[in-house]
Amino acid sequence: MSVSALRTRPHRPGKAPRPQRRAGRRSFAPLWLLTPAGLVLLFVTVAPIVFLVFTSFTDYDQRTLYTGAYNAVGLGQYVQILSDPAFWASLVRTVLFTAAMVIGSVLIGAGVSHLMTRLGVVLRYAVTIVLIFAWGMPNVASSLVWKWLFQPGYGVVNWLITQLHVFGDFTNTDWSNSPGLAYTSIWMLVVWQAVPFIALTLYAAETQIPLEVKEAVRLDGGSEWTVYRVVTMEYLRPTLLLVTMLSIIWDFNVFNQIWLVSQGGPDGATSTLGVFTYITAFVGHDIGTGSAIAVIAALILMALSALYIRNLVRSGEDL
Amino acid sequence: MTTPLPTGVPVEADLPTVTTTRAPAVEASGRTRPRRRRRPVRWISSSIAIVFCVVWIFPVYWMVNTAFKPRSEAMTSTPLFLPAHPTVENFVTAFTRADFLVYLRNSSIVVVGAVVLSLVLGILASAALSRFRFRGRRTILVVILLVQMLPGTALLIPQFLIFTQTGLIGSYFGLILAYVAAVLPFSIWVMRGFFLAIPMEVEEAARIDGASTWQVLTKVLFPLVMPGVIATSVFAFIAAWNDYIVAYTFMQDQSHYTLPVWLASFTTQTTGTDFTGQMAASVLFALPVVVFFMIIQRNLVSGMSAGAVKG
Repeated sequence: MSVSALRTRPHRPGKAPRPQRRAGRRSFAPLWLLTPAGLVLLFVTVAPIVFLVFTSFTDYDQRTLYTGAYNAVGLGQYVQILSDPAFWASLVRTVLFTAAMVIGSVLIGAGVSHLMTRLGVVLRYAVTIVLIFAWGMPNVASSLVWKWLFQPGYGVVNWLITQLHVFGDFTNTDWSNSPGLAYTSIWMLVVWQAVPFIALTLYAAETQIPLEVKEAVRLDGGSEWTVYRVVTMEYLRPTLLLVTMLSIIWDFNVFNQIWLVSQGGPDGATSTLGVFTYITAFVGHDIGTGSAIAVIAALILMALSALYIRNLVRSGEDL
Repeated sequence: MTTPLPTGVPVEADLPTVTTTRAPAVEASGRTRPRRRRRPVRWISSSIAIVFCVVWIFPVYWMVNTAFKPRSEAMTSTPLFLPAHPTVENFVTAFTRADFLVYLRNSSIVVVGAVVLSLVLGILASAALSRFRFRGRRTILVVILLVQMLPGTALLIPQFLIFTQTGLIGSYFGLILAYVAAVLPFSIWVMRGFFLAIPMEVEEAARIDGASTWQVLTKVLFPLVMPGVIATSVFAFIAAWNDYIVAYTFMQDQSHYTLPVWLASFTTQTTGTDFTGQMAASVLFALPVVVFFMIIQRNLVSGMSAGAVKG
């Protein structure tokens, strides 16, 4: 990295930096300020990523950890993965499940945010507190609570559903034993925890909308729905786009909840890409193949993240 | 909501009311039409909000409810919505028999280590990335954001291999380094935002008085950015405190487990899951995080968009 010390003005809107150079002064400050973090990240992040790409081209396995022996297999593992129906099933599953979680949490989040604008102080405060509780729960704790809520025989949700007398007797239903039910319960878990961030972010944006604009539409005889569609949606669009993109990235990465609630089961039915990678590398000890899947997953996420970053820059974040 | 409104705009929808079932006390004369139309909406909104609160708080309520039940009251075919004989026995058991304190100590070691290391490294790096312009700066920033978005397993697999070969696996220090990898990028990103908010004039004034770069940093910028450091440390704390999979993969020796790994291992015990004990331990584990969320809730939204606390 070059170190022509050019001091900056914070939050400069334009792209091309025209730095104010202090006459005759060159500083190495950025270099030594960045070095400690750079060295540590080199060891814990950069080197591992390079090593991951390397192992994805080898038949690295558990034995290699002790003997150091491995063979280069070139693209062999990629060919094998891309022709493995289990991989494609897992990828499709991940995409569909991510879509379901993102749609669910964004829709409910937008609804709650709009709801909050129409509440009195007390109820709005209550909703905020409830949201923070759901948000603040560590996902390990919430996953364990979920298993308890949906426990066959004693789970309170099973009991409540049985009381409805609509779906029949759920008392002894084992949610992690049927693909549909396992997905349903994990979906509820992820959406439950994702809604607070989305709702509070959108609410913060929604309170910034000038009331005059809404009132103008009302005076023109627009219904509340028209006001929401024409005014609110228009103002919320950038924020909505941002939270949707973040949700896609996060939900694509959901791991703990699936791992703790269903372990990817029954019979691999909830094994999304993250779980599939983990099982291949650490349960099946096929580290080489696991690495190759991780590389593919990382590439997909990089593409999604690139879209997100481009959007962040467009929305005025000064890089 | 308390911002002064321009005249001519009906404000009753945003006026604070103590009871939601009663119409606002303030009469805005001449604006009865929009108000009459909106009053039923307020009723409906309030009802939906109450239902939402009940549904959304239910899992937390159920966790706390179970934690205070004797085991016999938790395992009933008709659930008890309040413990008939509330007890703190489950919490006492966690502390005395289940070695909660051992795992709390393990968690504290790695979390404090990771947070301190990330903050020290992060404050220097974010100063460089915010107060100076140099070639490669944009590239570094984009790389930091991209790394933040990597799937967990992409780092976990190679870190596991490298740490096994360097003998770091299973050690607190190895886990601290793994957490730094997860936490440092967003710490830099979040603290950079706080640095950017400091006006250039503050720095210039110090320079005119003859301060060196190091003095400008330590005497002027670092003190000003302290609130940001505190907010960032909370994010870092939460991320490290909540991690399950890295600790689960790296710490094979049970005496080195962190709290989340120990919590989850309740389920795999042969005697069947001790749900009351597990819920009591979950309450203890979740408590500091929920308290932190309450404290920093205003900063949460901006920090999250940098990918701070992963869902």
